[in-house]
Amino acid sequence: MLRIPIKQRLDWQQQAAEYGFQFHTMYGEPYWDESAYYQFSLQQIENDIEDPTAELHQMCLQAVEKIHADEQWLQKFRIPEQHWDLIYHSWRDEEPSLYSRLDLVYDGKSTAKLLENNADTPTSLYESGFWQWLWLEQQVDRGNLPRHADQFNSVQEKLVNRFSEIAAYYQINQMHFACCQDTDEDRGTVQYLQDCAEAAGIRSDFIFIEDIGLGDTGVFTDLKDNPITDCFKLYPWEFMLREAFGDALSEAGTHWIEPPWKALLSNKALLPLLWQMFPDHPNLLPSWFAEDTPALSTGKWIKKPLFSREGANISLIDNGKQTDLSDGPYGEEGFIVQAYQALPQFAENYTLIGSWLIDDMPAGISVREDSSMITQDLSRYLPHIIA
Amino acid sequence: MTQKRSRHIDLFKMRKGFMLKPLAVGIAGIMSSGCADDRQDAQIYTSVDDCKRDYPDAVEKCEAAYQTALDEAARTSPRFSTESDCEYEFGANQCREMNSGSGSFFMPFMAGYMVSQLLSPRPYYSQPIYTSYSPYSPFRSRWITADGYVFDGDIRKRNYKVSPSVYKPKPTVTRTVNRGGFGSSVRAKSSWGSSSRSGGWGG
Repeated sequence: MLRIPIKQRLDWQQQAAEYGFQFHTMYGEPYWDESAYYQFSLQQIENDIEDPTAELHQMCLQAVEKIHADEQWLQKFRIPEQHWDLIYHSWRDEEPSLYSRLDLVYDGKSTAKLLENNADTPTSLYESGFWQWLWLEQQVDRGNLPRHADQFNSVQEKLVNRFSEIAAYYQINQMHFACCQDTDEDRGTVQYLQDCAEAAGIRSDFIFIEDIGLGDTGVFTDLKDNPITDCFKLYPWEFMLREAFGDALSEAGTHWIEPPWKALLSNKALLPLLWQMFPDHPNLLPSWFAEDTPALSTGKWIKKPLFSREGANISLIDNGKQTDLSDGPYGEEGFIVQAYQALPQFAENYTLIGSWLIDDMPAGISVREDSSMITQDLSRYLPHIIA
Repeated sequence: MTQKRSRHIDLFKMRKGFMLKPLAVGIAGIMSSGCADDRQDAQIYTSVDDCKRDYPDAVEKCEAAYQTALDEAARTSPRFSTESDCEYEFGANQCREMNSGSGSFFMPFMAGYMVSQLLSPRPYYSQPIYTSYSPYSPFRSRWITADGYVFDGDIRKRNYKVSPSVYKPKPTVTRTVNRGGFGSSVRAKSSWGSSSRSGGWGG
C-alpha cells in the first residue's frame, strides 16, 4: 500500500461538468483529489480487505438475528418500541438490501479493523463506482499508468445487477428516489443510483424527503399525488422512525431501500454487540456500551454516539481523561466506546478505507484522507489502483 | 487474471447534458427499455397532422394526446438557467423562455409526442419528446424524453416497442392529506451550531 503522486488530467474539471459530478469541490475545499493515488497489491485487496469485508457482513447478519431473538437488544439499540414489528417484519420477509460501506483502518501490513458500518445511508458512491473508474481508464489510456493496472471496483456493475434483482423481487419497473433538499452531494449520489436503476430497466421518479405526502388511503404520495410504493431513500432510519410520519410507516406498506432492518446495522450499538458475539475477532476492535464498560481508566478509547453522522460528537478517553475531538448535535440516545486504533499516515495524511458491499458481495473500496484524525465530510477522496 | 473492476460502463449514458432537475420529474408512464413481454407499440409524431393521418377515425384523440404532451412538457421539460446553456444542449433557436413564480428559465421546444394505445378503451399514453440540433450534444438527432431517456436509433425512427410503467396495480390515492412529515430531524440538526456543513445525511 503506497501513496504515489501523479499528474492530474488537465481536463478533469471540464469532464466533471459534462458528467454532472458537481460536488468535487465542497465548502470551497477540494474534495476529489487526483494529485496522488493509492496503490495496493492484489493480495492486499483480496486477503486483507475483500475477504474480511464479506466475513464482517455475515457477522453483521448474525447480529441482526440475535437482536430479534432478545428484545433487550432492541432496547439497547434505542429502537422505538412501536417500530419493533416494522423492523422484524422487514427482516423476516428478507426485504432486499442494496448496499453498505464498512469503514476500515488498514495500513497495508496489519489486519484491517472495522471502525463502523455505514449500512443505511452511505455516500461517496458515485466517486467510487464511476468517477475513480473513469480516472483509471483515462490515466491508462494516456500512458500515465501501466496497462496492467486494475482497481477494486465493480460497484457500478453490481449495483445495476442488484437493481434488476430488486425489480424482480418486488415485481416493479418503477421506483421513487428521495433525499433531502439543499445538498448537492446527496442529490448527486441519488442521481447516480437513478442512473443505475434505469440501466436495470427501472423507471425512476425523484422526490425530496421533505415533500413526501401522506394520502387519504394511508400510503405515501409524491407531489403529483401518485403513491410511493417502492422507494430508495438517502435518509437515516433513526430519523424516519422518530418523525411525524413515522407512525404511518407500517400502514403505508412502502418497500424501502435500504429496508428497515438496516437500522440495526447503521447503529453504533452494533459494535459492542459484535464484540460480545465474536470476542477477539481479528477484524474487530474491543467495544462496549458506555454504561457498562469495564476499564476506561486505562488505555485509549474513542467514545461515539449511537447515532451520528460525519464524525460528529467524538471524544477520546486517554487513561480516564476525556477530550472532545469534535462537537455536534448528537448523543442524546447514548454512547459506545471503542478501543482507539490510530489511522495510518501517508504523507502527513490520515487515511481511511471504505469497503463497499452491494447486497452481501464486496464490490470495491474508496480511500479518504484527512489532515485530522477524524474523517469528516471534508476529507478528500483519492483514487486507487491494484498493481 | 480476473479483473477486479467493472468491465464496461456506458459513458454515453453517464453524460449529464441535462442539469439535475430538483423537480419531481416523472411523466405519463411509458418506459421504453425493460425486458417485459407486455411491450406495446408506440409512435412518435412530430405534428398533430401526422397522428391524424395514422388515425383518421380518432382525430380528437390525436389532438387530446398532443395537448396532454404539451401540458407535460410545460411541467417536466429540462430547464436551464440561461439561454446559452439550453442552446448548447438543444441547438440554436430551439429554446424558449418561461416564467415561473421563482423567476425565469429556458426550456427546449417539444419536438414531437409519443403515443401508445390510442385506440384502446383503456387510457392511452402520451408524452413529450425532444431532440437536439446541437453539434455539442450527445442527443443530436436522437429522440429523448424529458428525463433524459435516449431512444435507440436516430430521429428517422418513429415506431417503438414500449412497456407500460405499471406492472403491479398501484394503490389508489384520491388526495394527499398531509405533507412534510419527514425531514424535521434535518432541520433540527442543521440549525445546530455554526457548522459549515449545511446538509448531507449520508455517512
